[in-house]
Amino acid sequence: MLKAGPAKKVSIYVGEDHKYHGHSLYSAILDFLFYRGISGANVVRGIAGFGADHHMHTMRIERLTENLPIKIEFIESPDKVDELLPKLHEMVGTGLIEVQETTVVKPSEVANKSAPQMSTPPLKREGKAKLMRIFVGENDKWRDKPLHKALIESMRANDIAGVTVYQGILGYGANRRVHKETTLNLSHDRPMMLSIVDTEEKLKAYFPILDSMVQQGLVVLSDVDIVKYSHDYEEEERRKEARP
Amino acid sequence: MKLEGKAKMLRIHFGEDDTWKDKPLYRAIVEKCRELDIAGATVFRGIEGYGASTLIHRSHLLSFSPDAPIMVSVIDSEDKVKKLLPYLDEMVDEGLIAMSEVEVIKYVHQGAARS
Repeated sequence: MLKAGPAKKVSIYVGEDHKYHGHSLYSAILDFLFYRGISGANVVRGIAGFGADHHMHTMRIERLTENLPIKIEFIESPDKVDELLPKLHEMVGTGLIEVQETTVVKPSEVANKSAPQMSTPPLKREGKAKLMRIFVGENDKWRDKPLHKALIESMRANDIAGVTVYQGILGYGANRRVHKETTLNLSHDRPMMLSIVDTEEKLKAYFPILDSMVQQGLVVLSDVDIVKYSHDYEEEERRKEARP
Repeated sequence: MKLEGKAKMLRIHFGEDDTWKDKPLYRAIVEKCRELDIAGATVFRGIEGYGASTLIHRSHLLSFSPDAPIMVSVIDSEDKVKKLLPYLDEMVDEGLIAMSEVEVIKYVHQGAARS
């Protein structure tokens, strides 16, 4: 297992079409690293490049199978790198191997399935909170994106406890224009209401962002008591595992 | 139109099939709000519910004429909302009207922003 501290970063440059004992060279190298217990390795495919043979490898449309450059990179302790280098040297053939001194600031960790990643929900389970309602139109935009969607994304990014969007069927607002749902009308501009519950401080901190996004509409705040706010993390884990 | 600080929010609950003078009640309420220069009104259709009549309103997949629950939300200053109440009292003969306190954070429209 890789630890924080001095380490070595090895970059190996080969061609995508290079072979090692009949198999593609980069996957042979990757397998070698995997089974020798390297803590992690990445294979990156370049889109163009040239090497010792001074032949330009590019991704042109007229040539679908081109020998594109491949870079295999891994970081390991100096001892481990020294142990693996002779074999890698033998494998790469015409390719290039480069070693750099580096420092591991934070090693990657194995995800611990038993401990939930988000152990604390963003909101206390009960007590006083504020309910914010935002009234906008379905066709309102924020940087070419539907405003209500942009608001949800920005709230998620700002750790707001939760938001629900309701679609109205009829209404009018600040601009006096009636938003109506008609059966045969494909260009809807229905009223939308977003309902958000969180603590007063969290909502107040979010106001400047909200203010810059909502160009027309109504935002109101009222007091609420939280009766229950919970989330079944174990259930979520089970669902994740069930997914292929 | 200016709206700021403390305001009142009215929520009127009834059924989609309720009518007022041969017109859907929710539309009649929105029109009345406009007539009284109320700052805004929005109609929401619920997907299931029950109310004063204890009859369950539910929208079925294959039924196109459900008596779905309707909620009209109206926000304005207390005196404006109070002006609306007598009309609502007359128009809504089966349903619920609830009033709560809200604080207006923002009320803007593009016309106002430009001028």
